Amino acid sequence: MLEAFFRYEFLQNAFYAGIMIGLLAPMLGVFLVVRRLSLIADALSHITLSGIAASLLLGKHFAFFQGLNPLYMGMVFSVGGALLIEQLRSVYQYYKEIAIPIILSAGIGLGVVFISLADGFNNDLFNYLFGSVIAVTRSDLWTIIGVTVMVLIVLIMFYKELFFLSFDEEQAVVSGLNRKIVHFIFIVMVALVIAASMRIVGILLVSSLMTLPVAAAMRFARGFKQMFVYSILFGEISVIGGLIAAYQLDLAPGGTIVILAVFILIVSIFIDKLKGGLSFTWKRTKQTPAE
Amino acid sequence: MQDLLMNLTFIERGVVAGVIIALICPVVGAFLLVRRVSIISESLSHITLTGISAGVLLGSTTIWFTDINPMYAGLAFAVAGSLLIEKLRDIYKHFQELAIPIILSAGVGLSAIFMSLSKSGYTEWYMYLFGSIVSVTRDDLVFIIITAIVVLIMVVLFYKEFISISFDQEYATVSGISVRLMNQIFAVLVAFVIAMSMKVVGILLVGAMVVLPVATSIHVAKSFKQVVGYGVGFAQLAMLSGIYFSYQFSIATGGMIVVMGLLQLIVVMMTKKVVLKWQGRDIREH
Repeated sequence: MLEAFFRYEFLQNAFYAGIMIGLLAPMLGVFLVVRRLSLIADALSHITLSGIAASLLLGKHFAFFQGLNPLYMGMVFSVGGALLIEQLRSVYQYYKEIAIPIILSAGIGLGVVFISLADGFNNDLFNYLFGSVIAVTRSDLWTIIGVTVMVLIVLIMFYKELFFLSFDEEQAVVSGLNRKIVHFIFIVMVALVIAASMRIVGILLVSSLMTLPVAAAMRFARGFKQMFVYSILFGEISVIGGLIAAYQLDLAPGGTIVILAVFILIVSIFIDKLKGGLSFTWKRTKQTPAE
Repeated sequence: MQDLLMNLTFIERGVVAGVIIALICPVVGAFLLVRRVSIISESLSHITLTGISAGVLLGSTTIWFTDINPMYAGLAFAVAGSLLIEKLRDIYKHFQELAIPIILSAGVGLSAIFMSLSKSGYTEWYMYLFGSIVSVTRDDLVFIIITAIVVLIMVVLFYKEFISISFDQEYATVSGISVRLMNQIFAVLVAFVIAMSMKVVGILLVGAMVVLPVATSIHVAKSFKQVVGYGVGFAQLAMLSGIYFSYQFSIATGGMIVVMGLLQLIVVMMTKKVVLKWQGRDIREH
């Protein structure tokens, strides 16, 4: 195992990329879940697929796009999709939540048509959908490093604003925070992280990596900072464990990573229930003498 | 009836299946829309994928399951998933919308594993993922017709209850309707619809078929019945034109159907904007 790791460059690429994704995805996921936007990640990941498909199609016809990493086109599409969602929400004033399924369907529908036109129903597409251990190239790794550094810097810079916006939107707006700009920056970050994680986890599973560790962390964390720590911990465990399992058993890494995350979630719900049951009885026995 | 079904060519079978699906999807979609849970169709379709991949895997590794159509496994998973979502909504009381991403991820994650385990060709998976009109077999058509009838009967039987829990849940509870039971029945209904549409439209695109037509019709409709009525009309138009173009240009059927639905939505939204502007000018001029 270790020997193979040092011998093959692609394994190292996948591993380093995995570590960064395991850090980034749950970190943004915390904000997503707290702001009740967890579904946006799904919509954006599906629209990323149509970006990648468009890039593959253009690459067939124009030489310029052939050399371009499809990831970039994916990023452009997912940022565009994010803006469209906001637009649609204002169109459907009474049914705002329908914006997300519309964008999600549009993303997949367009993606399928582009792929069909590019004759792309092959092995490559499968890697994009469900991730792959061997697909991460050095250029992908550099892109992911770039995204990681950028997102970390932005997150540190805007931490206060995001925190404020997540917990008390009205107060934040009243005290002069520009909601639109902060939200836009945040969504762009989500779009970038989705595009970056896609190589390893796969488009259909990126959003899981953002929500599942956070959902598990919510069961334990006693504060916002703790939620970050637990989420990142769970995220890293599932990414690294999932990658190793995928390599050993020759499975799609997206699947193993997400199933590990689901497993962690189930265990944490179970532990929480057990604890909750205990503390509940403890409280009651404590209360009775006072009455 | 039986003879008629037997004599259809493969393309006719596809079209018949498409028409039935375009009739049922918006009916259920309208209820999902007004109950603000349209995204449920998305997560259930992903769970159905798990069922299908499990069915194919069992079919290729064991002897007992070879004769069973993977669609039945898909249906079973979809029904189980729909009940599980209701359960998870109970657990995450303050973050109810988390239940859906959790089910969705678990569904896709498991199916990714099943798919890489079963080692069957990619083309077969793409057929399930993105739909293919030519692959509708007689068995599938029978399955689609039966589920369609079941769904229609359920909707007619429980129409009043569904309406009242959709628009006024408190009133429904007061008048003695068990919201919990109705929610569960409805979730099972959605699962049925998804399992039946999957073969033609593809798992990743079923949600679109449920959402897009009603999202279009709500721009023009003036009542709930009209939402359903126009929705069915838009769905049929998208389905038939999608099938036609996908056949003409040999593009994956599901994708083309969804793109047609999308075009409708954009056209309707644009016309409405223009019409509203015109009316606005009229009023100002007078």
